[in-house]
Amino acid sequence: MNALELTDVRKVYTMGDDSEVVALDRASLTIGSDEIVALVGPSGSGKTTLCSIAGGILRATEGRVVVADEDISAYSEKELTRFRQRMVGFVFQSVNLVPFLTARENLLVVDELGQRRGKAAQQRADELLEELGLADRAKNLPSQLSGGQRQRVAIGRALMNDPKLVLFDEPTSALDTKLGEQVMDLIRTEMKRRGTAAIVVTHDERILHYCDRSVHITDGVLAA
Amino acid sequence: MYLALKEMARSKVRFGLLVAAIALLVFLILFQQSLQNGLITGFIGAIRNQNSPVLVYSVDGQRVIQGSVLTPDLEAAARGVDGVGEVGRIGQGTFTALPTAERLGGASETFDTSVIGYDLGEDGRGLGSPTSLSAGRYPAADNEAVASSSDQASGFDLGDTIRILPGDEVITIVGLADDAQLNVTPTLFASYTTYEAAVASANPDARGLLPNVLAMAPAEGTTPEQLVANVNAASPDLDALTRADAEANTPGVSQVRQSFQLIFLLYGLVVPCVTGLFFLIVTFQKANTLTLLRAVGAPSSRLVGSLLAQVALILGSGIALGALLYYPISQQRLGGIQLRFETSAAIFWAVLLLVLGVGSALLAARRVLAIDPIEATTGAGVGR
Repeated sequence: MNALELTDVRKVYTMGDDSEVVALDRASLTIGSDEIVALVGPSGSGKTTLCSIAGGILRATEGRVVVADEDISAYSEKELTRFRQRMVGFVFQSVNLVPFLTARENLLVVDELGQRRGKAAQQRADELLEELGLADRAKNLPSQLSGGQRQRVAIGRALMNDPKLVLFDEPTSALDTKLGEQVMDLIRTEMKRRGTAAIVVTHDERILHYCDRSVHITDGVLAA
Repeated sequence: MYLALKEMARSKVRFGLLVAAIALLVFLILFQQSLQNGLITGFIGAIRNQNSPVLVYSVDGQRVIQGSVLTPDLEAAARGVDGVGEVGRIGQGTFTALPTAERLGGASETFDTSVIGYDLGEDGRGLGSPTSLSAGRYPAADNEAVASSSDQASGFDLGDTIRILPGDEVITIVGLADDAQLNVTPTLFASYTTYEAAVASANPDARGLLPNVLAMAPAEGTTPEQLVANVNAASPDLDALTRADAEANTPGVSQVRQSFQLIFLLYGLVVPCVTGLFFLIVTFQKANTLTLLRAVGAPSSRLVGSLLAQVALILGSGIALGALLYYPISQQRLGGIQLRFETSAAIFWAVLLLVLGVGSALLAARRVLAIDPIEATTGAGVGR
């Protein structure tokens, strides 16, 4: 079972003057079940669009999108929302944590929005925080954590629903080099430990060696 | 509820200030509601809580008891209409009265006091008497009276005596009736003869005293409304009213009600505006958080539910606090007006403010529904 299969996916935006902008053009990509893929390209190349389509945040204009054998190409908004709850983990570039929830609660909110497993979820949140070296920060609010710690909490939240695919959008862009490497090391360790696939969107060539392979994208077209 | 409660727990000051603002407004609403009811009851309680279903005024009296004078021919015309069951005379005057109870230590002040004279009947419950007593008994003889209970402390308690000034007419209070004031003055219900004596005491030159109003009860098979129509048809100079109409049409009452209703309307607008604006601002402030939650799989309905739960909790807390603040005040008197905690008014306002408050938060809810999770990748949120 592949974690992601994109086949001839297009994303076209219609502008105010009825002109069209092609953000993603006939993109096809397959990612194995525990593969970590770096998606590399300049700003505006379509990296985030591809990631958003793979994660069910955005719908493709054309093409087929299959995540862990689940074809989401024709899903409605509600179905995509449920899909995101169950199947995907996200670590965004900018806002990642709910500011009025503690580190532990930021993990538990995923369960609260979805399955509501109660004690099992609490146990999983505690285990994740332990693994991420944040057990002693469980009760801290995001404002009381460093940038690296916040990013680790976001990774924990992304793993909370036991996803089949985790999408990292520029996970090191707000961190210094050393901290960025630590975070990438952590991402690789956690993904491989769980056998979970990941796409890491980046324009930072220095972190590519943490990924199994790199895919380049330019002007919405994936390199062959 | 999880998100709603967590956010409120972590932002106690912000949400606490809104609760305090709503509590203050609810306090003011309940206070003014009670003030309005107390004021109107003080004005016309003696009409509302007397037992005559129909009151007949002269047109010239403009629905003021003291201003109405029924000449003998008008009285005869009214008494002669079809459907009349029982008839009694009512006379009313405002006198300077001096409570003379010993417990007042002889240093009592004088009060403008309304004396309502009516035909006592066999048991003191003739037409025009109070519908019920809170203490004591009805007058059984001249110079006995039932007093409005809200004036007990001023020397109008059971067993107290009142001297009508100038003169020597003394009235003994034998009973008390709740909500029985007229014109926000201490009010005494006594025999018609006592009323005549009071007039004579205050104005020895007065001659040929006429009744102000006739109290009427319809005959069996006739409704008060039919009796009113019959009396009014008998003479253009007669103005018959049912008890409820007499109460509502007393000059000043509708103006007081309208003034207060305008104030209530303003409050009814302010509370939902404050609530709606607060939650709209909060929604803009936490736009990024809401977008993040949508992106990680929170249904819009869950976020809207969380918002409305906060609105309901804040309003509920504000209303409860406002009612609690008002309760001790409602046990007091304000000048001659007895305030009262009115449960039905509190429930009415609680429900109305909840509905309006939740309704006003729908604007914020619309903003939440407009969140596109794709904004999580740009950090734009709903505030863009």
